[in-house]
Amino acid sequence: MSIKRSLPTSIMSGFALSAALVLTFLNILLQNLPESMQRAGDSLLELNANEGVSNAVTTVVVYFRGFDTLGEIAVLFIASLGIGLMLGENSHCEIKAESNFMLKSASKLLFPIITLYGIYVMVYGHLSPGGGFQGGVIIASGVLLLLVSHKDFEVPHSVIVLLETFAGVAYVLIGLIGLFTLDVFLGNFLPHDVSQMGMLMSGGIIPIIYIIVGIKVGSEMSSIAQNLIKRGEDV
Amino acid sequence: MFEYLNQPEIIKTIVTIGSMTLLFIGLFGLLTQKHFIKIFISIAIMETSVFLFFIGNIFNNTFTAPIISERFGDVSKMNDPIPHAMILTAIVIGMAVLALGVSFAIEYFKLTGNTEIDKMNGMKH
Repeated sequence: MSIKRSLPTSIMSGFALSAALVLTFLNILLQNLPESMQRAGDSLLELNANEGVSNAVTTVVVYFRGFDTLGEIAVLFIASLGIGLMLGENSHCEIKAESNFMLKSASKLLFPIITLYGIYVMVYGHLSPGGGFQGGVIIASGVLLLLVSHKDFEVPHSVIVLLETFAGVAYVLIGLIGLFTLDVFLGNFLPHDVSQMGMLMSGGIIPIIYIIVGIKVGSEMSSIAQNLIKRGEDV
Repeated sequence: MFEYLNQPEIIKTIVTIGSMTLLFIGLFGLLTQKHFIKIFISIAIMETSVFLFFIGNIFNNTFTAPIISERFGDVSKMNDPIPHAMILTAIVIGMAVLALGVSFAIEYFKLTGNTEIDKMNGMKH
């Protein structure tokens, strides 16, 4: 039995099905537009003042639901592991075209600036918009630029392994130290004085954890990009 | 000139209709396209519509960013930080799923030389 769909019926049925579903969604959502939002964030914003961290989003991500962030990093690690298992066996460079001189020089010039900006976003994640995930992705975009422009550039596998292992172990260790000292996993055991709010050294463990998250995300994104670009020659 | 667009109801209606239109585009692509990579990109577009819906519905143009400092003033006049944190999680997970799916597609193409979902008949014989 062949399940080959002829093109017109497929497009028509797809259009009808998705239009019906989306109109239903739209009907429900537009009829229930909330007048005044009952916000759970208000109480969190009140609590946030006790932790000495300016950026409330950082406090929610790293502290109030820090255990979820640990699981999220585990998901990212498993995805990176799967990609490495599937594509990373014979990983030698196989980009056919040679980049020209302009691209090579400009990427060499830009890479330190991109990395510096990523580190800034990472370190100041508890004071300004940004944080570990964003900073890690910025650093990985710099690595991606070098991977695209230089034929023989490669992040050594040992460096990625070292950074990922360090970041994962450090996250769990900080959580366990909090468990033993304050009876709470990921408890804030370092001094976090409210009067220091807005300074770089404030917030106790929260900026440290976000920097660790940034290292892990950056190394994993770099390894994903490297595995997707450098495939074997048998394609 | 466009003062009336600043009312919260108008903003929420526009955001809802726009994000659902984006969801429609993604769903249409998911149902009609046959190439693997196009299907994964359609899923990514649908995810983006949900992100836009959450962030845009919580947005209030009279409130400030949820960063506690002297410049941004009172806590009760700040935007809700929870949807931002949630969507941050969702973006990262969506990226991981997209990358893993694309690598599945690459590996399947390497094994069989096939990119169309209709010609997947490896289980038939």
